[in-house]
Amino acid sequence: MTSTFSTPGDFEKKPTSGRERDVDRDDLEDLLGVLSAGTERPPEQYMCDGVSPIMAARPSSVSELAEILLVANQRNLAVMPQGGRTALTLGRPLTHYDLALDTTALNRVLDYAPEDLTITVEAGITLKLLQESLAEQGQYLPIDPPPGDQVTIGGLLATARSGAWRGHLPAARDLILGATVASPDGSLTRSGGRVVKNVSGYDMHRMHTGALGTLGVIVEASFKLSPLPAAVSSFAIVCSSLSRAGTVACEIWDRNLATRAITILDSKTSAILDCGDVATVLVEFAASESVVVRSEETLREILRDYDMSAEHIGNDIWAQIRSLTHRDGIDTVIRAGVPASEVSGFIDHMEIIDGPSWGHVAAGSVWSCPNVNAQTLLGLRVVAERLGGFLQLESGSKSLREVVDPFGVSDAGLTDSLKSQFDPRSTLNPGKWKAVST
Amino acid sequence: MARTQPSPLVHDLQAALGIEAVLFEPEDLLPYEFDSSIDRSAPDVVVLPRTTEEVAAAARIAEEHHVPVVPRGSGTGFAGGAVAVMGGLLVVLTRMNAIREIDAANRLAVVEPGVINLDLQDALSSFGLLYAPDPSSQRICTIGGNVGTNSGGPHTLAHGSTVNHVLGLEVVLPGGSVVNLGSRQVDAPGIDLRGLFVGSEGTLGIVTAITVRLIRENEAIRTMLAIFSTVDEASNAVSEVIRRRVVPMAMEMLDQETIRVVEPRVNAGYPLDAGAVLLMEVEGLVEAVDQDSEIVIEACKSQGARDIRIARTAEEREALWEGRKSAIGALGHTAPALYLLDGVVPRSRLPEVLHQVLGLSREYGFKCANMFHAGDGNLHPTVLFDPEEEGATERVLQLGGEIMKLCVDAGGSITGEHGIGTEKREYMDWIFSEADLEAMSSVRLAFDPTGRFNPCKILPTGHGCAQGHFEPIKRKLGPGIYV
Repeated sequence: MTSTFSTPGDFEKKPTSGRERDVDRDDLEDLLGVLSAGTERPPEQYMCDGVSPIMAARPSSVSELAEILLVANQRNLAVMPQGGRTALTLGRPLTHYDLALDTTALNRVLDYAPEDLTITVEAGITLKLLQESLAEQGQYLPIDPPPGDQVTIGGLLATARSGAWRGHLPAARDLILGATVASPDGSLTRSGGRVVKNVSGYDMHRMHTGALGTLGVIVEASFKLSPLPAAVSSFAIVCSSLSRAGTVACEIWDRNLATRAITILDSKTSAILDCGDVATVLVEFAASESVVVRSEETLREILRDYDMSAEHIGNDIWAQIRSLTHRDGIDTVIRAGVPASEVSGFIDHMEIIDGPSWGHVAAGSVWSCPNVNAQTLLGLRVVAERLGGFLQLESGSKSLREVVDPFGVSDAGLTDSLKSQFDPRSTLNPGKWKAVST
Repeated sequence: MARTQPSPLVHDLQAALGIEAVLFEPEDLLPYEFDSSIDRSAPDVVVLPRTTEEVAAAARIAEEHHVPVVPRGSGTGFAGGAVAVMGGLLVVLTRMNAIREIDAANRLAVVEPGVINLDLQDALSSFGLLYAPDPSSQRICTIGGNVGTNSGGPHTLAHGSTVNHVLGLEVVLPGGSVVNLGSRQVDAPGIDLRGLFVGSEGTLGIVTAITVRLIRENEAIRTMLAIFSTVDEASNAVSEVIRRRVVPMAMEMLDQETIRVVEPRVNAGYPLDAGAVLLMEVEGLVEAVDQDSEIVIEACKSQGARDIRIARTAEEREALWEGRKSAIGALGHTAPALYLLDGVVPRSRLPEVLHQVLGLSREYGFKCANMFHAGDGNLHPTVLFDPEEEGATERVLQLGGEIMKLCVDAGGSITGEHGIGTEKREYMDWIFSEADLEAMSSVRLAFDPTGRFNPCKILPTGHGCAQGHFEPIKRKLGPGIYV
């Protein structure tokens, strides 16, 4: 057991701006009282934005998590739920951070019905472990969020991130059938169910999707699954310009082949991925063997008209793309949503900044790791919004996230109303959203 | 000349929307007393706005006059979602029926809530595009209504329900403010208010524009009819197809009772002596369709299919689907009244639950026909009865409740696509705890603190159904209007 909070002096070191009172020994003893053996973790392992929490807990059951959350709420402690810790800097910096609530011990498969193509899991299970279990039955959860399969299911839902398959396939927010959520008042509430079609009551699980753990902690979730494709094949198409890449990419998308991904890389991204140093279109086909072969033939026909060719490449390129946002030295990551037809144009616009950019055509999703100041970022947001889209700061320094609203568009009024209803004491991730009084 | 003296509410609405957009004479309100459910209640006033601004004005005026507000499309809902059970203002959105935009290159369209589902499909066909949700009532139901109930349809199996195809919503909130939820692109930042709103049955606001995602028509399509001697065989075939790693675009089952009614009227090609038929469709590239069809056929044969017919022409495909889509209408000719249920079970539990449904119906002395989305495990038992027969209505409602319990006991749900409305709100605590329902009430409060938007829907009594000066709803049957 660590002794991180062995002296009262430790408590006084934490930032407490605007908080009604400091955390005291009684608070922590209350928390310790509900922790089972081995649940407590060294807080320094849970640093975020340079701040360590006073305490960290890794509960081993859903009920224990709910109990911890209840005590934290009663004691006015600020809680940051976390799983794979791959998206901690999505959102505003927290105004307070007292307790790290680690969900990774909640990693069981609760109910898997291969014949129904459904599964229910605890939220701390990694996507990797889940996909491995499903692959044994020839099935998978058809999502490919960045930075990779190390994300937990709870984190995946809370951030609602999607990858290159989005648009060709559904996202987690589409595949979720139901969820159980722990609330600051200690209750565990369910919505949806485990069947593939269900319109009973409000889809609370969709409300928690993308809510960044600010309204409750997702502890269990059920999903609709798909059969694994028998064949997967990837291709790189070297293009003379981003504009040409955009034209070809849209043409391929328009042909409705067995496409699972169409991604445009700018020259910087191409270089990082060893695809040369020019704009590139990557295409992935996934289906039965004969359908993939036919799709490849059609792809080559399309490219002949453009006097271009496709090079067969390894399927591991997609894992590399997913991890682009988490390379060493990357500080700022942005994601823009723009019309599919504007993806290459928006990437071209990003050429003014220092950093790689790439875009998934079907989702109209452009990612970039720029080295930019707040003003440039806001300028890019204006461009995205003029195209009818948005720009989200996926990750960034604390100082950048203090001056730039990471989200840009969202209905603050309704968000605040929901926060007031579900977390009136602002126990969960206080300040992460915005304009929520603490 | 108005015979009824306009109330201050009517007066204000007329000033804001124009006299012709406001109905308040009792005989004018009659068509708006019911939807396709078995509940019935008259609104005090009906408005037919043409613009978002008019909807917002109506919501503001309703707030000022402290009256309930109920949105309505074509009134095809089976759960009573569009019935003004506490009276008040009924906002009928059928005049807001413009397709504002089709952006074929980016596969999206922006439509007003009164657009008929099939009208959108027709408008898209020249672009080679589709809007995937296709409820059986698509000839008359509106996209706004589809959003309200998160409608499905036969092709939900492959493409998902309405929520999977809505990108963004323009919504008038209680009080009259206008907000945009979601975006024109997928995965907009923030809490998924769009996803929360779809299926909220008009309790959180009134949708005034919908940005929908479109999909491209597939290169090839094959429609097949597998004929079985028993419902068990057909149910097992559904699981067997999935087990062989093929998810068809649609897998619809019709049982013997339905076939015998539908076939003589529609000539769909269903054998009259079949115990059940499975109507299945696979789509994709030609190679995929060939391959998947073969697997589907083998799977059905392995479970005892005595024949499998394949539609060779578009006309034959149309005929096979016409049988499915006309089934409810055809059943309507065979009994004074029908009660169409909507429940979901894990598809692997279909055979046993169907047996129990039929057994229960026999116990109650009613005929029960089944035509449903077998691939999704989404049952639609349809009970035939005569409301003039003493006690029949009460018994049929009781049977409906018992069938819903069967679904819940099998690990399923009390509705897959029709919604809760008034019909099933008292069943909600069969599947949700007090804490679950309290959480849902919190959503309601966040959007609608006074609980005036579509009161007494979704949540059971005590969870947002305020008691006002209106008479509590009394279940009774309309004159043959609920099928």
